[in-house]
Amino acid sequence: MKHCPNCGVALDENANFCSLCGEPLLERNEANLAFIETRRQQREDKLLTEYQKLSGFQKRRLFLKISAMILLSGIFITLIIDFVTKGDFTWSRYPVTVGLALLLNITMGTFWYCREILWGGLSFLSSAVLLVLLDIYSGNSGWGMQLGIPLLFAAYVTVFILIRLIRLTSQKGLNVIAYALLTTGILSICTDGIINLYKTDLVNFGWSLIVMASAIIVSLLLLYVHFRLKKVTDLKRFFHI
Amino acid sequence: MKFCFMDVKSNNNPKTNNRFWYALDNAAKIFPAIITREVTSVIRISAKLAEPVHIEAFRKAVLMAENRFPYYLVQLRKGFFWYYLEHLPHHILVEPDDKECCRKFEKGDLLLRFLLWENSISLEVSHILTDGGGAFEFLRTVLILYFQECGVAIPEDFLYKKPQEKWSEEEFEDAYQRYFKEEIPPLVRRSKAFHLPFSLNMSPRFHRTIVNVSMGDIKRVAKDNRVSITVYLAAVYLYNLQDVFEHLNPISKLKMSKVLRVQVPVNLRNIFSSQTMRNFSLFVMPEIDLRLGHYSFEEILRSVYHQMELETEEKLINKNISRNVGSEKKIYVRSIPLFVKSLILKAKFNSLGTSQFSGVVTNLGRVDLPPEVADKIDHFVLTAPPPNKMLKISCAVVGFKERLTLCFGSVAKSDEFEKRFVRFLNENNISSESEELNLINS
Repeated sequence: MKHCPNCGVALDENANFCSLCGEPLLERNEANLAFIETRRQQREDKLLTEYQKLSGFQKRRLFLKISAMILLSGIFITLIIDFVTKGDFTWSRYPVTVGLALLLNITMGTFWYCREILWGGLSFLSSAVLLVLLDIYSGNSGWGMQLGIPLLFAAYVTVFILIRLIRLTSQKGLNVIAYALLTTGILSICTDGIINLYKTDLVNFGWSLIVMASAIIVSLLLLYVHFRLKKVTDLKRFFHI
Repeated sequence: MKFCFMDVKSNNNPKTNNRFWYALDNAAKIFPAIITREVTSVIRISAKLAEPVHIEAFRKAVLMAENRFPYYLVQLRKGFFWYYLEHLPHHILVEPDDKECCRKFEKGDLLLRFLLWENSISLEVSHILTDGGGAFEFLRTVLILYFQECGVAIPEDFLYKKPQEKWSEEEFEDAYQRYFKEEIPPLVRRSKAFHLPFSLNMSPRFHRTIVNVSMGDIKRVAKDNRVSITVYLAAVYLYNLQDVFEHLNPISKLKMSKVLRVQVPVNLRNIFSSQTMRNFSLFVMPEIDLRLGHYSFEEILRSVYHQMELETEEKLINKNISRNVGSEKKIYVRSIPLFVKSLILKAKFNSLGTSQFSGVVTNLGRVDLPPEVADKIDHFVLTAPPPNKMLKISCAVVGFKERLTLCFGSVAKSDEFEKRFVRFLNENNISSESEELNLINS
């Protein structure tokens, strides 16, 4: 009686293929050895190359590789086109700087995914430098320091707190949407305040208060539904989609 | 709904509209509404043989069994008011066991499959079709037929569903309907129970831990305490839940319910005389209330024993059946369109079902096979349907020869509960060891 080298079931002596998994049943001799080895290798490769089987770090590294290829080739092409048409690097400075800052952020995210403070801090620094550079390219009017960096700081802090909050939540559902809405409200207030301070040198709030009030009402409703009504809510199933 | 069971042989043209069909039994009605990719309601029973499975002999055995159990060759269909099961003229799939355990059955598939790998035979069945008792009876028949094909002589007088016998109508009846009595008062609603506070595993969440327990040891300890193995295991489960609760921080303790309740399915075929091969089980839920203070293991054991004795009493079971069947018979329930009914059932399952118990201990009992077949099998593993996010862990038990196999199915990241369970058994002189199951195993 033969045994399948893949799934291990017993087969008739005259079988050429395993009728369960389709594996060819070959005698282990000189002529077949290479083929058997290739099949074994293929099986192992199939297991390894399946995206789902990659660890979180492997997936992030794959994403980094793909983004690096796209961004670097984009930067290279932009520089060439700019140089060929203008004889100098003029407009290409913008996409090149943005591309490099993006690549830097993705690289940091790949290696320091779990170290949020380090990643967040360095990412903020790189983005701040990017804004200042863009300001300099566009005539150095000073918006980068006075408007860009405070807005960036507000965005980083609020999003950082949101991510922390989501990671700490054990039961994710409507509460995540509520937290995101509240973050949007707070960010709107910061944006409104910073823009007014930049324009009029006065801290006052207008439209952002309406956004915040609406966000609070909707979030409270969502939090009530999440914590008081149903613990295990699969939205798709609930609305029968 | 009445059965429209016709001769299967005259109806195997897939295009005919007059295939036989039957309504879902009372217990199965809830499952189509709650099934998701993770909570699949699929039961798995595996037999680990002493030697590799002979695939051709196994296929022949499955073909023979198909003729004996035609009522299992059905697919789930959507009606306007209810789901129903309709005959599907397909053969039962025999596949290599190299994918996730207890996978969901797709639309248009049969509701059972066989999975083979080396010397293991696994049957996966949707709970819509039958419960553990029915599924095991089917697997038992297939195993006997398989070994017969392999040349093992089965004693003539051994009782099993022989392929040459014709099925009886009783085998595919909804036994709940038969034992339903009108005008019995409904059951009082229970309070919410404690749930394990573990965080969830990444998707695919479901994984299993097998615990091998010495049958001799557990029998001796259960006998010393004058209880059954099921009662003993339910008590150990409650004791460990209490242990988890007592190790929580004070704020979590305040938030959590202090009632610990374990759901223990009872095979009603042993209480009411029924031959049905569809769902026919109910639950008893022994509980302890930690607001009354700490319980010693002996106290839990006594309490569980008495609660189980009381709740498995025929009249109380009747009350349960009446509650379940009674609600489905109400005209206003029957006239609600299916999509609305699914929403209600889903909500009911959470509020009346899972929120009321903290864990599940299901015991299939000791496997009975002819000695000639038993010699060829090493052990069995029963896997309960994957628990949902609230319940997190369930425990399924099956005994065979000198081994009692516990299978903890879990969607939690931590295996703390399983470890506590094994530690407790070992401390009480019941030799047991655990092993984590890989994808391709059992």
